[in-house]
Amino acid sequence: MGLEVMDDIRKDYVYDVLRSGKRVDGRGFREYRAISVERDVMKRAEGSALVKIGDTEVLVGVKLAPGEPFSDAPDKGIIMTNAELVPMASPEFEPGPPNENSVELARVVDRGIRSSEAIDLEKLCIEEGEKVWMIFIDIHVLDNDGNLVDAAALGAIASLLNFRIPNERHGLTGEDTLPMRDTPVAVTTVKIGGNILADPNLYEANAATSRLTVISNADGALSGMQKSGNGELKEEEIVEMVKIGIEKAKEIRETFLSNFL
Amino acid sequence: MKEGEKEIELIKKGKRLDGRGFEELRPIKIEVGVLKRADGSCYFEMGDNKVMAAVYGPREMHPRHFQDAKMAVVKYRYNMAPFSVDDRKRPGPDRRSVEISKVSREAFDPVIIKEYYPKTAIDVYVEILQSDAGTRTAGINAASVALADAGIPMKDMVSSVAVGKIGGEVVLDLSGMEDNYGEADMPVAMVARTNTITLLQMDGNFKKEEFERGLKLAMDACHKIYELQRTALIERYSKSVGEGEGEE
Amino acid sequence: MYKVVVPGDFISEEANRAGEGTYVEEGKVYAMKYGIVDDREEIKVVALSGKYVPTKGDVVIGEIVEISFPYWIVDIASPYEARLHTSEFTRNEREKIEFGSMGKYLDLGDLIVAKVMNVDAMMRVDLALKDEFKIGEGGRLIEISHTKVPRLIGRSGSMIRMLKEKCNCFIFIAKNGRVWIKGSEDEMNLALQVVLMIENEAHTSGLTDRVSYFLDSFKR
Repeated sequence: MGLEVMDDIRKDYVYDVLRSGKRVDGRGFREYRAISVERDVMKRAEGSALVKIGDTEVLVGVKLAPGEPFSDAPDKGIIMTNAELVPMASPEFEPGPPNENSVELARVVDRGIRSSEAIDLEKLCIEEGEKVWMIFIDIHVLDNDGNLVDAAALGAIASLLNFRIPNERHGLTGEDTLPMRDTPVAVTTVKIGGNILADPNLYEANAATSRLTVISNADGALSGMQKSGNGELKEEEIVEMVKIGIEKAKEIRETFLSNFL
Repeated sequence: MKEGEKEIELIKKGKRLDGRGFEELRPIKIEVGVLKRADGSCYFEMGDNKVMAAVYGPREMHPRHFQDAKMAVVKYRYNMAPFSVDDRKRPGPDRRSVEISKVSREAFDPVIIKEYYPKTAIDVYVEILQSDAGTRTAGINAASVALADAGIPMKDMVSSVAVGKIGGEVVLDLSGMEDNYGEADMPVAMVARTNTITLLQMDGNFKKEEFERGLKLAMDACHKIYELQRTALIERYSKSVGEGEGEE
Repeated sequence: MYKVVVPGDFISEEANRAGEGTYVEEGKVYAMKYGIVDDREEIKVVALSGKYVPTKGDVVIGEIVEISFPYWIVDIASPYEARLHTSEFTRNEREKIEFGSMGKYLDLGDLIVAKVMNVDAMMRVDLALKDEFKIGEGGRLIEISHTKVPRLIGRSGSMIRMLKEKCNCFIFIAKNGRVWIKGSEDEMNLALQVVLMIENEAHTSGLTDRVSYFLDSFKR
């Protein structure tokens, strides 16, 4: 109850500040908080990245293990994406099985990686019909100050950009690296009142009625979208959000991913 | 399929596999109030999709600590029957259905007037009995009619359809084959009266212009679906008016 | 001719006449429920279905479902349970009802006629007993949608009056859609059949005539 009351007060505050043409943390409407991407932070993982967007902090680890392929794709590797909203990251997160928010987070990140075809799944085939590499992308949220999706998606692609294939550990031979074919980047905007804001912080995310995540590839094509939240969006608002999404993704890609390629 | 390793010709001579044009919906059938026990229900067909929606409530919310003192809590359960797909689906919620349930519930959030029934629950159950792509959109169309049938106060109805890309063309309402071998899929839900979008998802590959055209196509189709939903609800009662002794 | 509307249908420009089952947006009246438009006085949408929500003054038929001293918890065919305080009994008597002896006055499963005394902001519903509060012997209780109650009563009571006369039954209709019928076995069955017929055809025109015709044909 206490938390809910606080939420209402904060919501009002977000609205009041917006009415005077500003955001609560003084950013421009299209401006991201400071982003940092640190890679290979976890020794045991085959790929990892710690992404910070403002105070939001997400750790992504990639693990590989040989496994059986799906019967409808006997010559393709498997991607599994999972997200955990661990209780340490927010007083609202509770321990237990994944809830709809963590499932949604994982699936939206997965959608971008999969649709962009960044990973050449056929190169992950060890023995057709028998054994393929399974890539597990695990998203561990450490601190939630809003916009987990963009941080998690950026962490996922950053982790994948130079992951190692643990051939030796599993008694196999082959290439130890697999270059990515694309770099999908997620950009989330929210609508608050009539305003569209990029990279919502937690206050803004809670005050927003609708959120749209737009994932785009290096060539600017869209590879995933997800509207979330209780509100409605007009056609022109969506078109605007998609435009911002493509532009911002380009900036983020050039600043944080290009040096890894 | 970027590499085009599975060469399936989805468009022949400007027509789709099932003979439809690019901007054509599959046939739709709507029946209202088909279940006895539910407070509202709807059976909905969209091509080979067969979907049943039932609404219970407003009813007492259990467990009580999930009650909201100010409004009703809407719960939405999208569920695929094990026999609804070629390879039997393991019963129960999986991650896909958890996500679909969430975004579908949110698609109704702007229209359901929840303040009317504080502390209660409104349960929406959507069962996919036979699937052929676009099941979440069919489910939303069915749920919308079932909610109205249950007498739930709402500002508007919600209508839904998917658009996608096959053989490089933006097309309306993908069938299963088109979804499997197509290049993009984008489900949309909309309030027809206000032209506002309440659900939007996408995966695959859309150029910006293709996305914009697809969105327009979906919005136009939602207007058509809305008319069918409305007609089904209205006809249910105008039909029985005529059943008396012929008086008007 | 009845005009059926669905949620979001535009009904009228006269926002000042907007009533139950409608909402106003930018000066226009829209339907908030699936139902029938009634614009004789206010512009209303009479819902064709939906749950009963108690309001102060309603007379309802309830069933005792729980005893939780000092209250009886009463099901009133609504998402909201009602409660009846023991003081409702001791108003006229000196004795005080003790914890553990409440069942002697009203037990689980008992049916009562009660008036909604108060509904607070938390949707707690308090009941007061009517004089002849206890029902249940030698009669039948049926439950119809509360939205059909006005039709069952008819304009200024015409339908129910006819029903009582022609079926020769005692019929009590509560606001929450519960109907109590008492009479001989055959007459009760007939009344029951007609009540259900009215529920099913509540939205049709010429219903009173049709019911009358049905009852007459039955009598012959």
